[in-house]
Amino acid sequence: MAIEDFAFLIPLLPALAFVVTFFFGKKMYSGGALIPIGAIALSCIISILITINLLQNPEEVVHQSIHWFAILNLGILIDPLAAVMLSMVTFVSLLIHIYALGYMSHDPGKARYFAETALFTAAMLGVILSDNILQLFICWELVGLCSYLLIGFWYQKPSAAAAAKKAFLTTRVGDVMFLTGIIVLFSGIFKIYNGNLPEGVYVLQFSEMFNLIPQLSAMHTTILGFEVSQLTIITLLFFGGAVGKSGQFPLHVWLPDAMEGPTTVSALIHAATMVTAGVYLVARTFPMFMGAPDALIVVAYVGGFTALFASTMGIVMNDIKRVLAFSTISQLGYMMLGLGMGAVVGMEAVGVSMFHLINHAFFKALLFLCAGSVIHSVGTQDMRQMGGVGKIMPITFITMLVASLALAGFGIPGTSIGTSGFFSKDAIIETTYLFAEHTGNYIPYIFGIVAALLTSTYIFRLLFMTFTGKPRTNYGGHESPSVMTVPLSILAVFALIFGVLTQTKFYHFLEVTFENSFVHVNIEHLAELGNYDLVHNPGHEPLFILWLPVIVGVAGLVISYLIYYKKVVDMSTIVSRNNPVYKLLYNRYYQHQIFIELIALKITYGLSLIGEFIDRKIIDGIIDGISDGTIAIGETIRKVQTGVVQSYATAVIAGVGLLIILLKLIVEVQ
Amino acid sequence: MIPLTYYLILSTIVFTIGLYGIMTQRNGVRLLMSVELMLNAANINLVAFSSHNNDMSGQVFTLFSIALAAAEAAIGFAILLSIYRMRDMIDVDNINLLRW
Repeated sequence: MAIEDFAFLIPLLPALAFVVTFFFGKKMYSGGALIPIGAIALSCIISILITINLLQNPEEVVHQSIHWFAILNLGILIDPLAAVMLSMVTFVSLLIHIYALGYMSHDPGKARYFAETALFTAAMLGVILSDNILQLFICWELVGLCSYLLIGFWYQKPSAAAAAKKAFLTTRVGDVMFLTGIIVLFSGIFKIYNGNLPEGVYVLQFSEMFNLIPQLSAMHTTILGFEVSQLTIITLLFFGGAVGKSGQFPLHVWLPDAMEGPTTVSALIHAATMVTAGVYLVARTFPMFMGAPDALIVVAYVGGFTALFASTMGIVMNDIKRVLAFSTISQLGYMMLGLGMGAVVGMEAVGVSMFHLINHAFFKALLFLCAGSVIHSVGTQDMRQMGGVGKIMPITFITMLVASLALAGFGIPGTSIGTSGFFSKDAIIETTYLFAEHTGNYIPYIFGIVAALLTSTYIFRLLFMTFTGKPRTNYGGHESPSVMTVPLSILAVFALIFGVLTQTKFYHFLEVTFENSFVHVNIEHLAELGNYDLVHNPGHEPLFILWLPVIVGVAGLVISYLIYYKKVVDMSTIVSRNNPVYKLLYNRYYQHQIFIELIALKITYGLSLIGEFIDRKIIDGIIDGISDGTIAIGETIRKVQTGVVQSYATAVIAGVGLLIILLKLIVEVQ
Repeated sequence: MIPLTYYLILSTIVFTIGLYGIMTQRNGVRLLMSVELMLNAANINLVAFSSHNNDMSGQVFTLFSIALAAAEAAIGFAILLSIYRMRDMIDVDNINLLRW
């Protein structure tokens, strides 16, 4: 039997592990952690073997599909795009589960933790493996649920419970948009077939959806006087779902608060896997975005703006995990920006963006795990109380340094020397430059390059504040146990060399994502539908452009070094309530105030009051009025039924008398 | 031979007395007596028409009617008796437990 036949086991094993750990974990060694670890290890092996097979023959993708009921198909699709995600998710999830053995060792809720992370892994693998949009949506909701459960893992803490609720509600906004997108898509397909959906074909399967792109693109709807292609509406609604899940502006507010969960959860869900589901969704439906006019431009702008916006807030945060949370938002913005650049580079955009996604998963998971290691040892998350941690935790310090270099994108352009972040982030910035050159629109490029400077600044600020100098408070610390440092070291190796090893192969591998045995679309043709002007033989960028990302990276390092290590500038003049810029950044652009006090308390509450008035007074009033009237009439009329036989007899006699008189009259008239 | 009209007038008078009793009396026993009067008025009618038409079935009906009246009186008086034992009176206006 070929290994492909076992593909269904990839999500199934963690799901079984969830069941076992959830029900019997408490009685097992270390909360039954070994069962999810074993299951995910097996999934990881299967995924990597399938990926290796696929590498040799990328056009023969794995596709299995079972028809189930009239409207649902259960299917597995492993094409190059899914294969790289699968390998990354299972691998990172495995390492984080092993790490969690040490990190969660003192927690009484261990069994619940491991059960929930196993369920999460199963759901995430389900998102990746889905061969149709509906199944993807179901798994998408499931990861959202797991995210909610794990953010609120320490549910006794009010702030954690509130953060979980916030995350759930904010992503729900995006999920509703995603679902609406699916509904609009289905109604479009229904119209194309004139209501006679073909027998034996599942129209929501990606291959069928992509075949119908030209027809969908030709359908138009008028919204607010603008004529919009149906496909643009669908893709933008899908993108709305991605915005919610991937923490893009303006639905990013939940991600920093999500750091209330255990650090391993932040590393697994809110850095490496779940938040990238949005990017994966856009990449998965990329041909639709290609065929939809303006959709990719929106993606690029939202992504670029998020990259810049989040990094400005990352600079002033004092909580080590919050810095990393803003960093995640910013890097996800980069990935969206990279996808948006499909407007000029076509299919290559998916390669560039996914490459950054994979690299980011490695170094950001590593950053979070290092932060977790520090928090585990020092017992606080506030960087102002740390300092000098590098001396007592050398392995954590070195791995964190590697991750920071990868995040800041250090490397030498023109050679194959560099951290993984260097290859992927620079590729995105280079494509934005290509976009700028081609269309004369420099805004995405400026977003990218300024965000790169800020990225480098905040991550080295974190490094200097945490690991160098003298301890600012009296904390007792020790290096973490090897069950934690070994995963750190493995991830550090990947963060360092993954880019070098796979750089060119990666793009080639992903190029056939939409041209294989399962789905065959012509990106060039779709780009014409979407009015995108693709560049075919890009010239080499000027040397300055190649070097600029690295230069700003080093500049960020120098700025942080001068301010936080050498202390040439007195921080107290900058960090004060009187500095309006600092105040603005520290309060996160007053987003909380805007979201809660303006949108929630004023607008939504006001609308609710109106709604309540209509419901209580008008609708209920009508219904209550009808029933009250009926009761009142009944109360009056029932008095007729006296219960006294005599009055009945009187009535009977009167009636009979009347009848006789009437009869007599009628007879006389006739 | 007494003409039919006389019987009918008699029965109308008896019936009207019974009806008046039903509508005005509050005493249970008097009510029952009024009901008996009305029944008997009907009986007079039946017998009168029977002899007028030379048809015996009217008199057979009357026998049935008398038997029925006896049964009704027995049940009615039994109820009134037990009410009297319970409440020491048989005023039907006060027997209103099931009334609104």
